[in-house]
Amino acid sequence: MTEGATKYKRVSGEAVEYEVFARKTRAEPLHQVGSVVAPDDDLAAAYARATYDEERWVEMTIVRKDHVIALWSPGES
Amino acid sequence: MTEISNLVLSIADNKQLLGLRYAEWATRAPSLEADIAAAAMGLDDLGHSRVLYGCLEPLGEDPRGADRESDPASLRALPYFDEPWTSWAQFVAANAILDTAFTVMIEACVNGSVEVLQHRLRKMLMEERYHFLHGRSWLRSGIEKGPLDEAWKEAMEWFGPAAGDTAALHKSGALSMGPAELRSRLEERLDTKAPKLDLDWKRWDPRRRRSRPGAIDDLTFGMLRGLEEKRFAPATAQKQG
Repeated sequence: MTEGATKYKRVSGEAVEYEVFARKTRAEPLHQVGSVVAPDDDLAAAYARATYDEERWVEMTIVRKDHVIALWSPGES
Repeated sequence: MTEISNLVLSIADNKQLLGLRYAEWATRAPSLEADIAAAAMGLDDLGHSRVLYGCLEPLGEDPRGADRESDPASLRALPYFDEPWTSWAQFVAANAILDTAFTVMIEACVNGSVEVLQHRLRKMLMEERYHFLHGRSWLRSGIEKGPLDEAWKEAMEWFGPAAGDTAALHKSGALSMGPAELRSRLEERLDTKAPKLDLDWKRWDPRRRRSRPGAIDDLTFGMLRGLEEKRFAPATAQKQG
């Protein structure tokens, strides 16, 4: 990164993690394809679309990771 | 169809240069995600320029002359793209304001009366949605005033004067918006007003849709013409070519 880029700081809040879900056909369910880190929903949508564009998805959606309610985790069931 | 062909060529040239300038930041943006977004948006805009160049033939008139092989000033891109950007603020201002200005003009084409533009340009609007989200988000985070004012000024110049070609195209129905409507639409989308601008239409070049003289740098012009590729091609390939 250049000096101009590294000294630049976002001021719109702390970046948070978003999970990215997508599917290739209407017949299959959405599944997790990865995650992105962004300071707001708009940028997370742009990042998800840019990062996970290797397939011709019919649907893509993002969810803030801290909005996911875990019922139990590995080892707790 | 001369006026609409000239306008389409201007959109194409600007999108080509915008795509190249985006791509130059694919390893220099403030985060890995922003790097990837810069690369993806660059590819999108280069693709859009190809589609737009492809519209010239069905429009019945291709304004590109032989001088495009030798004269960088024959390209119809804005001064903003003449030199590589040296700051992230320049990237953000181009992304938020100029990219959205081009999208607003494409909206005017898609909703206008020219059939080939109605059909071929529609998909661009879907892809541009993510450029807009990216640009608006970074814009809201705050950037320096200089690049912002320059981008607004060049966007307003690019839309054209009140009684110019875009106004005539709007009157004829080829465009669904004229200069005033294009400006309002851009301000509405960005949820902000353009700064107070002092536009000098006497110096405005209607062919290049800009008032400042100049042209893209030699390296970029050479790359567009394929000269940079030839420089690294094996000697045998050069002989065959």
